[in-house]
Amino acid sequence: MKFLELRLIAHGPFTDMVIDLSGGNEGLHIIYGPNEAGKSSALRGLQNLLYGIPERSKDDFLHPYSKMRVGAAIQSSKGDVLKFVRRKGRSNTLRLEDDKTVIEESLLSRFLRGVDADLFVTMFGIDHADLVRGGKEIIGGGGSMGQLIFAAGSGASNLRGVQEQLKSEADSLFKPSAKKPKINEAIGKINKNRKELRDAQLPGRQWVSHDQALRQALERKQSVEQDLANKKRSLHRLERIQEALPVIAKRKELINEFQIYATAMLLPDEFPKQRVELLQKLRVSENDRDQALKNTEITQKELSELQISESLLEKSSLIEEIHREFGSQYKAASDRIKLQTRMSVLRGEAKEILCSLRDDLTLDHAENLRIKKSEAVLIRDLGTRFEGIVARIDTARESIPKLTHRIAGIDRKLEKLGTPRQTDTLRNAVFQAEEYGALEKQYEKEKSEISSALKTLDVVLGKQTLWSGSVEKLERLPVPSMETIVMFEDQTAEAVVKHGSLKEDFEKVKSTLADVERQIDELRLKQEVPTEEDLQKAREKRGRGWQLILKTLEGKPVSDEEIDDHVKGIGSSETLPEAFEISVYKADEIADRLRREAERVATKARLLADQTFHKKQLIHLKTEIDAKVKTKEKIMKEWEQLWQPSGITPISPKEMRAWTQNHMAMSAKATEIREHKARVNKLKEEIDAHLKGLNKCLKNLSEPHSDDGETLANLIKRSKRVIHKEDESLNKIKQLRSEKAQRKQELAEAQARVDSSEMDLSQWQKEWKQAVKPIGLDADAIPAQANAVMEDLNSLFDKLKEANIFQKRIHGINRDTDEFTTKVTGLVDAVAEDLKDLPAGEAALELNSRLTLARTAQSQRQTLKNQLKQEKNRMDKAVGRITEIETRLKGMCAEAGCANYEDLPEAEERSDKRIQLEAELKGLDERLHQLSAGATIDDFINKALKVDPDGIDGEIGRLTDETDKLNQEKSELDQCIGSERTELGKMDGSARAAELAEEMQLLLGRLENDVEQYARLKIASKILNQAIERYRDKSQEPILKRTTAIFKQITRGSFQGIRADFDDNGLPVIVGVRPDGKEVVTVEGMSDGTADQLYLALRLAGLQDYLERNEPIPFIVDDILIKFDDDRAVAALRALEGLSEQTQVIFFTHHRHLLELARENVESKFLIEHTLNA
Amino acid sequence: MFKFIHTADIHLDSPLHKLDDYEGAPVDEIRQATRRAFNNLVQTAISEDVNFILIAGDLYDGDWKDYNTGLYLVSQTSRLRDAGIPVYIVAGNHDAASKITKTLRLPENVHLFPSDKPATYNIDNLNVTIHGHSFATPVIKKDLSLLYPTPVPGYFNIGILHTCASGREGHEPYAPCTLEGLRSKGYDYWALGHVHQYEVLLDDPPILFPGNIQGRHVRETGPKGCVLVTVDDSDRPKIEFKPLDVIRWVIIEVDSNGAESGYDIIERFCNRLENTLDENDGRPLVARVLIQGETAAHSELLANVDRWSNEIRGAALDISGHRVWIEKIKINTRLPASEKKLRTSDGAIGELVKLFEELADKPDLLRDLSDELIDLEKKIPKELKQGRDGIRFDDIDWLKSLLEQVRPMLIQGLMRKEGSE
Repeated sequence: MKFLELRLIAHGPFTDMVIDLSGGNEGLHIIYGPNEAGKSSALRGLQNLLYGIPERSKDDFLHPYSKMRVGAAIQSSKGDVLKFVRRKGRSNTLRLEDDKTVIEESLLSRFLRGVDADLFVTMFGIDHADLVRGGKEIIGGGGSMGQLIFAAGSGASNLRGVQEQLKSEADSLFKPSAKKPKINEAIGKINKNRKELRDAQLPGRQWVSHDQALRQALERKQSVEQDLANKKRSLHRLERIQEALPVIAKRKELINEFQIYATAMLLPDEFPKQRVELLQKLRVSENDRDQALKNTEITQKELSELQISESLLEKSSLIEEIHREFGSQYKAASDRIKLQTRMSVLRGEAKEILCSLRDDLTLDHAENLRIKKSEAVLIRDLGTRFEGIVARIDTARESIPKLTHRIAGIDRKLEKLGTPRQTDTLRNAVFQAEEYGALEKQYEKEKSEISSALKTLDVVLGKQTLWSGSVEKLERLPVPSMETIVMFEDQTAEAVVKHGSLKEDFEKVKSTLADVERQIDELRLKQEVPTEEDLQKAREKRGRGWQLILKTLEGKPVSDEEIDDHVKGIGSSETLPEAFEISVYKADEIADRLRREAERVATKARLLADQTFHKKQLIHLKTEIDAKVKTKEKIMKEWEQLWQPSGITPISPKEMRAWTQNHMAMSAKATEIREHKARVNKLKEEIDAHLKGLNKCLKNLSEPHSDDGETLANLIKRSKRVIHKEDESLNKIKQLRSEKAQRKQELAEAQARVDSSEMDLSQWQKEWKQAVKPIGLDADAIPAQANAVMEDLNSLFDKLKEANIFQKRIHGINRDTDEFTTKVTGLVDAVAEDLKDLPAGEAALELNSRLTLARTAQSQRQTLKNQLKQEKNRMDKAVGRITEIETRLKGMCAEAGCANYEDLPEAEERSDKRIQLEAELKGLDERLHQLSAGATIDDFINKALKVDPDGIDGEIGRLTDETDKLNQEKSELDQCIGSERTELGKMDGSARAAELAEEMQLLLGRLENDVEQYARLKIASKILNQAIERYRDKSQEPILKRTTAIFKQITRGSFQGIRADFDDNGLPVIVGVRPDGKEVVTVEGMSDGTADQLYLALRLAGLQDYLERNEPIPFIVDDILIKFDDDRAVAALRALEGLSEQTQVIFFTHHRHLLELARENVESKFLIEHTLNA
Repeated sequence: MFKFIHTADIHLDSPLHKLDDYEGAPVDEIRQATRRAFNNLVQTAISEDVNFILIAGDLYDGDWKDYNTGLYLVSQTSRLRDAGIPVYIVAGNHDAASKITKTLRLPENVHLFPSDKPATYNIDNLNVTIHGHSFATPVIKKDLSLLYPTPVPGYFNIGILHTCASGREGHEPYAPCTLEGLRSKGYDYWALGHVHQYEVLLDDPPILFPGNIQGRHVRETGPKGCVLVTVDDSDRPKIEFKPLDVIRWVIIEVDSNGAESGYDIIERFCNRLENTLDENDGRPLVARVLIQGETAAHSELLANVDRWSNEIRGAALDISGHRVWIEKIKINTRLPASEKKLRTSDGAIGELVKLFEELADKPDLLRDLSDELIDLEKKIPKELKQGRDGIRFDDIDWLKSLLEQVRPMLIQGLMRKEGSE
């Protein structure tokens, strides 16, 4: 199959894009599409066309799903053509060109010969990713022979990936000795679950035994508890009595001792403590009183010793004021010295400036020199104006000689250029000729086309049969019209058909006849069927015999000869009676048979009738056939007459129809050439006329005449150059003239400027003289001089102004000093005459320090007075407290019945003893109450005293042992009951075991699926390996051979090829062989690029091997060469070119340079270029 | 007038068989299914206020040893005792095999028929008499009904019997009897058990199997429950089937004829599932999915069984909201005849295709493939190999079905172009 045309009617970015793929042998079609041109979409379109547009297509961005269409014309290797359109949809997507008539997919699949979508993509498509993946597979797989051969034969670039995935998936499910894989893990879980289930299941007998144990323990516990209660009661009583006996004895002793203290006064608990506290407080207060008295005396003494100057304190604010002023006085004195120095410096400087101006004046008269502000401004303004005037005059004077020189230069240039030539006539001629200049090439091309067409026609004519002659005669040859030829063709055909059909009928009848005769023979051979005739004959014989016998019986003479004849005629008889018997028998037999074999008889009769009929038919047919033969001959004669005028002896009308068509085509071609020739000659004349015209014009301008070879186009070019040159010099002259006029204008203007500026200068001089008089300068002084004088004057007055300011400040300082001295002297007279002789400053300092001392003494006196007040207060309080305490102590003595408070401790002691004895007795009675268990104390004591004290211990020991044992048993019973209850509680109808069984089923369910998946993977792996080995056995040799050739070609001889080898494990592998034939390169040693190339070589070899035996399918290549260098890309293109002899190769690329490489290196008859533009 | 429930084949605590647990599967719905179904039975009896219950054998699973199952039964029958409902039980073949039966003390309202000879219980206030005979051993080959006593005149006579009747596919041929034999006994009702499918053998007098109360595997599909019998004052029984199952087994057959793609088939499955859910009143289901028929999607489905299984499970989750458990998906699709002949090309793939065809025709070659699985076979637990559904590694049909699945998986795998457009 190959594509004749691919039509992207509405697909991806394409609308009605047609790619003509019919060219080439099978053709190497390179479809170039720059980025965004829709290369990928076109590629998909191709696949969608053959196998349907997928449900979710991304090529709908321009055309909606319902409008998507791809069409094509394809041709099988036998030449059948199918033109169809594919639309998007779920069914009926394949249609004829009209997009309406639905066609069966099977119609298309007949062209594809069993290649489905996947196989098409895998085996007949290759893209760059495949190439890289294939290359990696080669390296990764170590060149395994089986894998590579299989990959080559299938186009699968991921074979090893598939194998490894099968293995790794299977391994992840199961390994014979491992724990992790899913199945192993599940088996582990199942075993664990099984064990748990066993543990969780509750055996029936276990429940029964626990139930019984519980019941027994409960019964036993009841009896133990009864027994224990009794024993405990007896034990208790004895224990009480045993405990009570010492209590009773002690009680008796205490009652005796109590008699002594019965009369003691009962004092409150806090009584002794109160007593001790009061005595302590008394001692503290007495001490306090004495201390206060002593302190008062000391303070009064200190107070009397203090001295204080009251007059100083009265003047304290005045003293503080002069002390503050003393600081500023001190600073002013030092400032005054600095001010005086700076003032005298300034005055010195002013004097110097004055001297430089006028040595006759002192500083006091300097004021006379001050000028007004307006005068100073005028002087400065005039100075500025002077500079402007002088500059103007200078500029104007300089420009005059320059301009004069330039004008002279322009004049010289003009003279040199002279007058230009006239070119109008030439210009006109060129304009007319230009059109024909362009046609000149066209003329040459057409001329060569005509001669080549003529040649072709000659060659075709030469090959012509039946007629030969020149091209000229060809057109005039009288050939019958096509309609006439067709009419003859029909007649001949009809005659032939009729003749044939008659002949066929004849043969048929002949064969039927033969068949009838055969059947007749058959009947005869089986056993001759008797006829009525036979019966007649037998009866006649019998009759004759009877006549003879009758005659004999009647005694009529009968000759022996007659009898003998008769007997002999009957045969196998000796005598007449015998003969008669036989003849009677024979006649009967025939009659019987006629009756018996009536059917056979009838058949025979029918067959005989048929035979006669068919024979007649044959004769009739023969006549008709002869008539037809004659008709045919007549037609042939007329046919030949028809062709006589042309002098041609015709062959059959059908062949002559083709010949005539051919002849008409040639004749049309001849006419076309003739007309063409006339047109071209006309053109030539026009061109020549223009050549002549142009030459004439050039001659008028004294340009050289053209030589013979010069073309019109050239001449036009030369003329244009002449025109151009003249135009240029005319322009130059115009330009120079305009420049000269401008320069003259400029010269006049410069002269005028010089004159006006000189007038300005003389006016200025008058004003200047007037202005500089006040500062003592005359008219000759220049403006700079005037400026200097004015600056000096400014400086002089500035300095004098500053010196005045200093003078004023010194005066102020002196006034402040006098005021300060007056204040100090006043104070000293009032409060400290002893300081009279000291300077004011020092006196002020001394006064201040004396004031400070007086203030300190004043504050100390106040402190001492406060202390005196406090001590008096303290003493008064102490005396009050002593009185209060003594009153309270007297009260206590009365309470205890004592005369004074020294006797109080003894009274306290007796009270305590009485209280203690009463408490002890009460405690013993309470204890006895507890032990008596409800009886009165006296009854209890009486009962207790009756028990033998020495036997109690033994009795108690016995009872204790017995209760301990019972308690032990009870506790054991309780434990037993508890555990039995727990056990039974666990057996509550729990569904734990059932749930474990459910989990087991979940695990089994999962395991079953995994087991099946594992089985699938293992089987898949095994089958794949078997297929690989089988395919290798079958195809290794041819594929290796082809691969070697292609690999050598693609690597540009860098490898001589490949060959089979064995790896370290003895497995068959492919290795590369270097040109010397000795160096072997394993696939691991190949570069990525080389591995890619090896993969490509394998793929192409696989394809070639396939194509050898199968219907070709186009090979679709998607930009596989982008990583190849130019040399190898060219080699690969050549390999594809080679493949294109077997099948169509369609190569999509984004890369223009590949297109260029192909153009340069692939034979043009194989290469067809296409450019995509959406 | 009185009412009673006739049930059988409880098989308490027998789990649902071989469910592959997957993300989103309704695990809670299958938990303790037989217990919950039995609970439904008790609840129905109480709410219908029946006068008594008949259990025609097989309370337990024979080889199930957990006494807790018995204790659970006790707790449930105690509820019936509290509601004043007596229970009459014959032991079936499973009960005879069970160790639980031998030691369990049942409440006083439960009456177990003896296994040495037939016995009769009278319910005098109802004028009902019940005749029964328990299985003494797991295997009983004789017709027990022959020994049953003649009917008591003036009473409504019920025969309760665990039997395979005249033999039923998939059920052990125990205590066989004939319909005519039962009918001629002259009883008013025969309560049979043992066959797990609801089946009325005769209308007058009623002779019937109620089936089991909870389906446990793919051969126990459809509604499961008990029959409620109402007997009017003229002793005419009216029969009503009451479903008790908590999750129901169904087979969803998806006809893939003419489907263009895997998604088509998923869509068809969804429609079928929706119908099935409607038919079963939205009850939780365990579904086996059978996809069969000629379809262009054959290779697509089988090349990636995992993916399509997940699609189906996902669709079931979406539609049912976690109420349907997809137990297993069987893909028995074929390529349409028109596409089959496509793949006959030459070349390496052709070689592979030829190998597949050869294997399908030659059982010996096929059996050799199972050599790959010997290691696995040794390891997997016996539960997977036993029973009617068990995997047999040398089974030709099984290997053939694998082969059918492997073929597209392998061929598509080789021809799939990663990253190609």
